[in-house]
Amino acid sequence: MFQIEFNEAGSVVVAGRLDAAQAPRAQEFLDEVKDECVVDMARLEYVSSAGLGVLLRTHKRLMGDGRGLRLINVSNHIKDIFMYSGFDKLFQIEVADQSGPD
Amino acid sequence: MQRKFSRSFDEIKEIVFFTEQFFKKHDIDTSKRYLVDLCVEEIFVNMVTYDTETDADILIEMLPHENGVEVSLTDYGVERFDPREAGSVDINAPLEQRTPGGLGLYLVLKMVDEIHYEYKNRTSKISFVAGGK
Repeated sequence: MFQIEFNEAGSVVVAGRLDAAQAPRAQEFLDEVKDECVVDMARLEYVSSAGLGVLLRTHKRLMGDGRGLRLINVSNHIKDIFMYSGFDKLFQIEVADQSGPD
Repeated sequence: MQRKFSRSFDEIKEIVFFTEQFFKKHDIDTSKRYLVDLCVEEIFVNMVTYDTETDADILIEMLPHENGVEVSLTDYGVERFDPREAGSVDINAPLEQRTPGGLGLYLVLKMVDEIHYEYKNRTSKISFVAGGK
């Protein structure tokens, strides 16, 4: 199950599993983003390289105009994938506050 | 446990379910799930994407291992492709030089404890052990 939508603040909210089967839908949604954009990952459980590709393509397109994606509420699992991929050097990433109860 | 999956990305959700059942059956630490899900998906997607000369199902086998999980994916009627020889990805490259290509197998090679490859009679088998790091 994967969901992607705008919230009231204009951020993109992603939830569930962003795998190779869901990546085309995520790409289609993000292709409509024209400005600097926050992606809230609080409810994103999983991302594979197909999902990383979607983020990378969108970020490159937006950075061409000096904009880009900012990734917030990133879980530890997904932060690890970003680190292994070198995405921590390419994106602004804010890790989720995990001090509270699950 | 073992099961065959057809060559479609729509099968990923079935593979995730299969993996979940395997973890439950053997009471394996669920913190290793992400790693196993990721490596299985990356190898499966690579086989579906590049081994296009066959319609045969892909066999996935999972076994408990002292350091986590041992997984193999077997693809039938295909050319040799050893993932250990896949090109590297420069994760320090600037954004304008980064492309999504190759990242999946790069992640697998970085994250597994062991990876093995066998090729015989046009059957390609990739095995890995993950979860011990």
